[in-house]
Amino acid sequence: MSLIEIKNVDYSYNDTRKAVDGITFDIEKGSYVTIIGHNGSGKSTLAKLITGLLPVKNGSILIDGLEVNEQNISAIRKRLGIVFQNPDNQFIGSTVKDDIAFGLENKQVESADMEGIIGEYAEKVGLTEYLDYEPQNLSGGQKQRVAIAGILAMKPDIIIFDEATSMLDPKGKKEIKKLMYDLAGDDTITIISITHDIEEVLQSDDCIVLNKGKLFMHDKPQKVFADAEKLRKIDLDVPFVELVREVFAKNKIKLKAHDLEGMVAELCRYRSDH
Amino acid sequence: MPISFRSLSYIYNKDMPYAHKALDDINLDIKEGIITAIIGETGSGKSTLVEHLNALLLPDEGSLQILDYNIVAGQKQRFLKPLRKDVGLVFQFSEYQLFEETVIKDVAFGPLNFGYSIDEAKRRAAEALKLVNISEDLFEASPLELSGGQKRRVAIAGIIACDPKIIVLDEPTAGLDPHGAKEMIALFVSLNKEMNKTIIIVSHDNEMVYNYCEETVVLSHGKIKYHGPTFDLFCDRQKLAEYDLLEPQIVTFRNALIENGFKLSKQARTLDVIAKEIAEQVKR
Repeated sequence: MSLIEIKNVDYSYNDTRKAVDGITFDIEKGSYVTIIGHNGSGKSTLAKLITGLLPVKNGSILIDGLEVNEQNISAIRKRLGIVFQNPDNQFIGSTVKDDIAFGLENKQVESADMEGIIGEYAEKVGLTEYLDYEPQNLSGGQKQRVAIAGILAMKPDIIIFDEATSMLDPKGKKEIKKLMYDLAGDDTITIISITHDIEEVLQSDDCIVLNKGKLFMHDKPQKVFADAEKLRKIDLDVPFVELVREVFAKNKIKLKAHDLEGMVAELCRYRSDH
Repeated sequence: MPISFRSLSYIYNKDMPYAHKALDDINLDIKEGIITAIIGETGSGKSTLVEHLNALLLPDEGSLQILDYNIVAGQKQRFLKPLRKDVGLVFQFSEYQLFEETVIKDVAFGPLNFGYSIDEAKRRAAEALKLVNISEDLFEASPLELSGGQKRRVAIAGIIACDPKIIVLDEPTAGLDPHGAKEMIALFVSLNKEMNKTIIIVSHDNEMVYNYCEETVVLSHGKIKYHGPTFDLFCDRQKLAEYDLLEPQIVTFRNALIENGFKLSKQARTLDVIAKEIAEQVKR
């Protein structure tokens, strides 16, 4: 049984157009899944349906066998954390320590245990030295890391990143992506990341491509990007390695490697063969 | 030189205990007719610098020459209105600044404010909207009905409608999806190439800067660390490390090829040219 099962889900905000249109797919436990699609493709609507922020009216979504509906939502939310786009909108505490503690207090964790748990997760996101910092003294990337520490402290099964890096500067983006890749290595956590970052997609186990509310592709990232033209037709970007492959193909050089390093090595071999 | 900073400093909360020197003795000449990027980490002074360009901020020390206007610290400025017509500034997340009932009214606001008649202002607005690819059926729509990318283009149209000589954009692609970002880049490239506007862009997107901006200014802690050709900056690993800048992927690729004994000319800056030059070396 898959951890998340989405079956024939439809959703429309008004009657004219379906924002999500007959989507069916499964997500395996412990996997790292990216969801891409240009603005208006249904990515965010789908995320809101999975997290119960919008009601599932048609079709069904099961999380670990439990249907996402009003009755089950609080049980489901306990197992699920969401990191949002804007780092400034999710900082609740007055210091890093308070912010991480917020969820734990809600969960009525003994205060004797609190300090240890906060320390553990602050360390996990690399913010041990910042526990007493106030949010205005943190960078965007650091604020997102605080949000992630707060979520991890709740020991969720699933973390959803909703364009969590898109408002950060390059340094912040790099920090958060590194943290996400580390978490992806943990088999007990399932990660769903809604993203525009094509380079991030290459690091995921599976990629779901949405277009106009419909499931356009669901495959390994390498396979998704193999047909660049198909992606361009729905206004999506192509990763740099695929651009390199395309341009060299135009010059009658076939590159098979999956990364730049491999491609350079291939070119070196071609040179010595001739 | 249309834009020259001379020993310019700007201090936030001047004379207060938490005064902060955001710009520190800036000397800078920005060339006319090209696209110049201003980059640097968050808090380095980029936005403070560009807000001087249309006198939203006035220098605390030093002076600034823009076109025919000379702004000197401590002197009263009399020409702010014509200066602001000639230098259009598009803020970060400019889509939040739309305020009129309709798209066309919003864009016409600038030209009206600078003294054009209603008909002329509307004509200019329509032209600017066409340029940023907003179709006529949206002219009478409320700005609130538009997508994020469309709103931002309407905000830029509001600047273009005033026909400035210099257009300054503060992080114009931040938060846009890749498709929206591409449209935005195509827009300011055409403003530069076809309408001969001087373009200054504040950005964190090094790939975009590498591909489209002829010169780059690197700011750090309110000081200028580098100003010169963009290509020379990004091909210099020592400088990238020193300024804590990420290397564009194409430069990583180019460097790896050179390190492996391939020869690439200085013209090999784009993938197309790199592939052509490499093809000749593997075929032989």
